[in-house]
Amino acid sequence: MSGLRAFFAGFVDRNGLPVAIYLGLAVTIWVFLLVALPQLAMLDFSFRHNLPPSKMGGPEDVYTLEQYRYFFLGSEIGGGDWNALDIGVLFKTLLAAVAVTLIDLAICYPVAYLLAHSARGAAGRLMVLALIVPFWVNEILRAFAFRILFGATGVINEAGMAMGLWSAPIDFVGEDVALYAGLSYAYILLMIFPLYNAIESLDRNQIEAARDMGASRIQVHWKVVIPYAKPGIASGSTMVFMLTAGALAAPQILGGPSNLWFTQIVYQWFNDGGNWPRGSAYAIVLLAVCIGFVMLMMRVFRVSIGAIGR
Amino acid sequence: MTKGPALLLPVLYLALFFAYLFGPLAIMAITAFNSAGFPRVSPWECLTFGWFGKLAQDTRLLEGIGNSLIIGVGVVLIAVPIGLAAALTLSQVGPRLRASLYTVFIAPILVPGVVIGLSTLIFWDRLGAMIGADYDTLFYDGIFLTIAGQVTFIAAYSMLVFLSRISRFDPTLTEAALDMGATPTQAFVKVLLPFMAPAIASAAVLAFLASMENYNTTVFTVVAESTFTTVLASKVRYGLDPSISAVAVIIVAFTLIAATVFEMGKRRQTRAASGLLALDRPVLRLIAHPLFVAGLMAALVGGVVWTGANHDSSVCEMQVLDDKRAVQERLEQERRERIEALTPAPSAPSAPTQSAPGGAFAPGSLAPGGSAPSPAPSPAPAPAPSAPGGAFVPGALAPGGAFAPGGLAPSGSVDN
Repeated sequence: MSGLRAFFAGFVDRNGLPVAIYLGLAVTIWVFLLVALPQLAMLDFSFRHNLPPSKMGGPEDVYTLEQYRYFFLGSEIGGGDWNALDIGVLFKTLLAAVAVTLIDLAICYPVAYLLAHSARGAAGRLMVLALIVPFWVNEILRAFAFRILFGATGVINEAGMAMGLWSAPIDFVGEDVALYAGLSYAYILLMIFPLYNAIESLDRNQIEAARDMGASRIQVHWKVVIPYAKPGIASGSTMVFMLTAGALAAPQILGGPSNLWFTQIVYQWFNDGGNWPRGSAYAIVLLAVCIGFVMLMMRVFRVSIGAIGR
Repeated sequence: MTKGPALLLPVLYLALFFAYLFGPLAIMAITAFNSAGFPRVSPWECLTFGWFGKLAQDTRLLEGIGNSLIIGVGVVLIAVPIGLAAALTLSQVGPRLRASLYTVFIAPILVPGVVIGLSTLIFWDRLGAMIGADYDTLFYDGIFLTIAGQVTFIAAYSMLVFLSRISRFDPTLTEAALDMGATPTQAFVKVLLPFMAPAIASAAVLAFLASMENYNTTVFTVVAESTFTTVLASKVRYGLDPSISAVAVIIVAFTLIAATVFEMGKRRQTRAASGLLALDRPVLRLIAHPLFVAGLMAALVGGVVWTGANHDSSVCEMQVLDDKRAVQERLEQERRERIEALTPAPSAPSAPTQSAPGGAFAPGSLAPGGSAPSPAPSPAPAPAPSAPGGAFVPGALAPGGAFAPGGLAPSGSVDN
């Protein structure tokens, strides 16, 4: 306790009282009022029954596991079977997010490497600018662009049929091709910049040395560049994975009619279903599973969370 | 000798990559100028600027943009100071506390936007219910909730911007100020803040843009209001329309202009730093000046807008409609001939259509022509030669697009 007081005394001493108050207040408001308490409120809400406002706080307003039970086992009428639909959608969402992450990693690694080690001066700056420009267009318009591209009368279908590659329009939207392409596109930037930052700080002499020792091009990447860029890869992959798993707009616009993204189920419980506690429970499930998965991957690949965001 | 292919491959890859990056946007931009009612490049109908005009009259969209601007300004005003405070706090604590604080601060970026949105919604709703607030108070106000929700993670973006700037700060500057008798507050205001000014500017721009384009969080917190993105999303989900492409064109144009001006400014700075500013060539100097470039761009945009406002595509559009109607009539004709070819004999002229057999006369396939069928009881029609089997199945007509219900609607209205 005295250590804490000494810390605050030092904090005030160093910054002066007004600045110390500003720093403390801003960080406290952020961490508690905006981040922690809302999450706790949601957690609390997910353990409640779906009651009309008049009954909230009344005798019926007790804690329950009903909403989670529903996620795992489905409605009571269905009997003790697993809720295959919702669990299936969750797994499919995770799998798709992993796939999109890997696609982005594969696409972005060469670009980041070239950007970091070949492009210099004005050319490099121009490339960075060219990377950023498409991402000022918002997520919905990007998804819309892919809808135009992949639709039944879209450019790809028209071109393919004109060249005689296929004769009837291919349902790219229904086959989820449009969704995967759109999602990979949406988060490219979040993959490139962490990779770029990591690779850029690699001393070029290390690559030269490896080449001098007889390493092939692939060996240079596999044994020198990639191990060095591991924090960047982890950072980019985590962000792409989390954002893809939590994406809502792209699946709404590009998803086929039979395809559901887990966030869409959450959205449905909230808006169409009017069942906030169940929506909260589903959101908690999504959050927990995603964080668990990221933690597991970090353990497997031995990266610390401090690497994220750099 | 090995240099050739070794250089070619990366260039090819980059070309492909940037094609992937810009291709979809370019195609979307082109559809904004096609008069076809569905956003597409081919078949090309007429060059039109009408979709932009339609945009300017879209009151829902304009209202959404207005709300988005308010929210964006609110987010900048709150998120940037929070991000700065977080970065400064991180720079002052010991390494162990720093690591755990960093994890806490970075978490909002990784939490799905959907989760942030609905947790914010629930929290303020519960809080409002707890103190018995009315529904028209802050706790249920879409704009306030959206600002709160967006600040949650945009503050973390700002923090990252400040962290990268602060790592280059020389703390001896503050020490020097303190030694000269400045109070810590003065040192903060006169030394640290000016040093952070560029980062504050870029954090503000970033926060504003992030706020403008956010959807996942906003769609939950906005409640009964609407923002730019939620209006766009509902437009996209309930019917595609080239005016959405027109929105994208405007955004891309703005972005490209801003990027060009920014790049010119940057070049000027680097030249000035290396003493290469073309002092002896005033014309070149003027042309390369960012303000001049901005003016040029503004003039260009003005010219395009003026052209667009004066461009009249109605003649061409009428032409396309007439073409469509001609094709339609030709098909009608062919079908009629076919019907007559199938009817057994002209000996029973009283009820030719009733005796028509088979599914070829499904009501759907006849419906469009229903308004103007000429009786045409010509006795011996030649069996429609080029119309085998499935030509009259409704689906077979769809790929051309011109015969989709939407494609016909305008011609009907002209008829009446």
